[in-house]
Amino acid sequence: MSSLLRFFENELQIACLAFMAVVYAVRLLWIFRFKTRRDRTFPAGDERAGAGYSLMNIVMPGAMESTRKRPFFYAQFVVFHLGVAAAIVGTFIIPYSPGLFGRAAFVRLFQAVVGAAFAVGLIRLGRRLTNPVLRSVSSPDDYFSLVLLIVWFGTAVLALPNRPERGEGPLLAYFGLTAFFLAYVPFSKICHYLYYPFTRYYLGRSLGHRGALPPARKAKELA
Amino acid sequence: MTRRRKAPSAVVDSPLDTRTQAKAKEDRRPSVVEGRLKTYEPGNNVGRFLDLLAGRISRPLAVSMTACVHCGLCAESCHYFLTHPDDPTMTPVWKADQVRKIFKRHVDWAGRIVPWWVKAGTLESDEDLNRLKNIVFGTCSACRRCTYNCPMGVDTGLLVRFARGLLTELGIVPEGVFNVSRDQWETGNQMAVSEDDYLETLAWMRDEVRTELGTDAVDIPVDKPDCDILYTINPREIKFDPRSIAHAAKIFHLAGASWTMPKWGWDQTNFGLFSGDDRLGAYVARNVYEAADRLRAKRIVISECGHGYRSTRWEGYTWADFEQTRPTESVVVTVKRYLDEGRIAVDPARNPQPVTFHDSCNIARSGDLIEEPRQVLRRVCADFREMHPNRRENFCCTGGGGLLSMAEYRPLRLEAAKIKADQLRATGATLVCTMCHNCVDGLNDVIKHYKLPMKVVQVLELVSGALAVPVRKD
Repeated sequence: MSSLLRFFENELQIACLAFMAVVYAVRLLWIFRFKTRRDRTFPAGDERAGAGYSLMNIVMPGAMESTRKRPFFYAQFVVFHLGVAAAIVGTFIIPYSPGLFGRAAFVRLFQAVVGAAFAVGLIRLGRRLTNPVLRSVSSPDDYFSLVLLIVWFGTAVLALPNRPERGEGPLLAYFGLTAFFLAYVPFSKICHYLYYPFTRYYLGRSLGHRGALPPARKAKELA
Repeated sequence: MTRRRKAPSAVVDSPLDTRTQAKAKEDRRPSVVEGRLKTYEPGNNVGRFLDLLAGRISRPLAVSMTACVHCGLCAESCHYFLTHPDDPTMTPVWKADQVRKIFKRHVDWAGRIVPWWVKAGTLESDEDLNRLKNIVFGTCSACRRCTYNCPMGVDTGLLVRFARGLLTELGIVPEGVFNVSRDQWETGNQMAVSEDDYLETLAWMRDEVRTELGTDAVDIPVDKPDCDILYTINPREIKFDPRSIAHAAKIFHLAGASWTMPKWGWDQTNFGLFSGDDRLGAYVARNVYEAADRLRAKRIVISECGHGYRSTRWEGYTWADFEQTRPTESVVVTVKRYLDEGRIAVDPARNPQPVTFHDSCNIARSGDLIEEPRQVLRRVCADFREMHPNRRENFCCTGGGGLLSMAEYRPLRLEAAKIKADQLRATGATLVCTMCHNCVDGLNDVIKHYKLPMKVVQVLELVSGALAVPVRKD
């Protein structure tokens, strides 16, 4: 393994991770700078149950009409994000537990998941380019982030077998892109996962207080 | 190379009409003179808008501004887009982005440094503000259907109301919004009903119920202290639909309720919800809460009104910084309790027509009453049938968000109402019941425009019609 690849897999990743953590911390402070108002009404439901239901929305495609009517879209979402998770895990396995990728079946599983995400990424890019609604709201960041992820998935599929002796190109690309991601993500739409708990929590807490969420709870009480 | 055709836009291009504002200033109307109601003044309105935006953002709003990933899933939850599928400007995401891009440019990080990269943008002139007015007032009924369909939990309804509130501070509002706000600020009710009119109508309805029930024991008490119920209404009931007060009086009488209506603080509607003006919202809600305090009522009961219920039961206490100390409920809940307790008896055979139920957005999506009206209707109607979709997935009557008072947006609203018309038609019902006066007018517009063989009724009307009289002897 070259010293460049070693640097890419270790020091560079750690430095970029630290940078991302600092930016995220500042971002969280920025979010908490905005005030919230206390609800002064008697509750008709349970805020915690509402917030919990809202946060779990991600694993309940039947909860929203928008995903219930589009199971294929929801499946794409699941595959895409599993691919993200697998590709991230890969950046830790290769430098810190390379033995895991010594098993061919394990490598194949990771490649299949990331490869599927790569395919979904292409579908999503096609949708973003051809759907007039998405075109009307998409920013350069929306396109760039998606293309970047697709390329990253591609490099991950090639790099996951972790065979630097067969050529370091895929590994350098994979870890180089990962480092770039870590630095870029906090400023792009990709950091939506940082906001998800907030939007979902505040919406769920408010509607939970009113008894509107979870939807079945009050109906059951009244039955 | 041929230039690509620009997507059609149904966004209304309505100029800012300030004639009534000018008249209000000329007449030295108290709400304007005292600065409670803002009027349009040429000048640095963009700067003021940006200052207000930066100063008023709450945390739930800030995260709704930043969290959208432009997935477009909200599009098909919106009745405006469903009826204008070729027009991206009718989608919730596009409408919200018109506010979001300003936030990105002036408050958020990346948009301040590289605005083009995240499509951040600013406002240049009052014309831009007027265009924003037409988007947030004219192309969205703030029904929150998209909020429930956003995977990220972005509250576009909240965001639209926030933008409306900023524009209201600058007087850049539809004329109807200005007029109704003025009336509510100055008379305490949004239809400028005078105290004499109010008291005379109550007396008239009391006499009607006395005649119907054949007893002088019926009363519509006003300002009676220490009652169980303080009953608050929509001014529309005084002006256009006093029978709804009679229905309530009849039910309260037969149930043996201890109730009163206040002489002041009787309007449970709240135009602050629609205009985004929290100060107006606080003022109107406080009138009701203080009336209950003054009369030592044990409970506030709100007549059938969607936004009135949401404002008085939920938002008003927060707007007014008023700690809730007594139950505040919809009259439908009160009636359900009377039915449960056997205080009134009903015969569903007296309402034999097929009835469907329209869920008010403000009650179903921003409140908590979904099953209660259904439980009442199943007991008072022989043929109750659901509309689809229903409950929290129901479509707006298209008159929500104060749109009934904004004539300039009516043609677009009625185009968008095709979704509601199709929903209504599919039920085969001859009566559509709703627990909202706003929805009554909105649905009547839809029925008339799309020539549907239906009539709009409210829950109390059906309960009143099904009452087995008398069930209780005084």
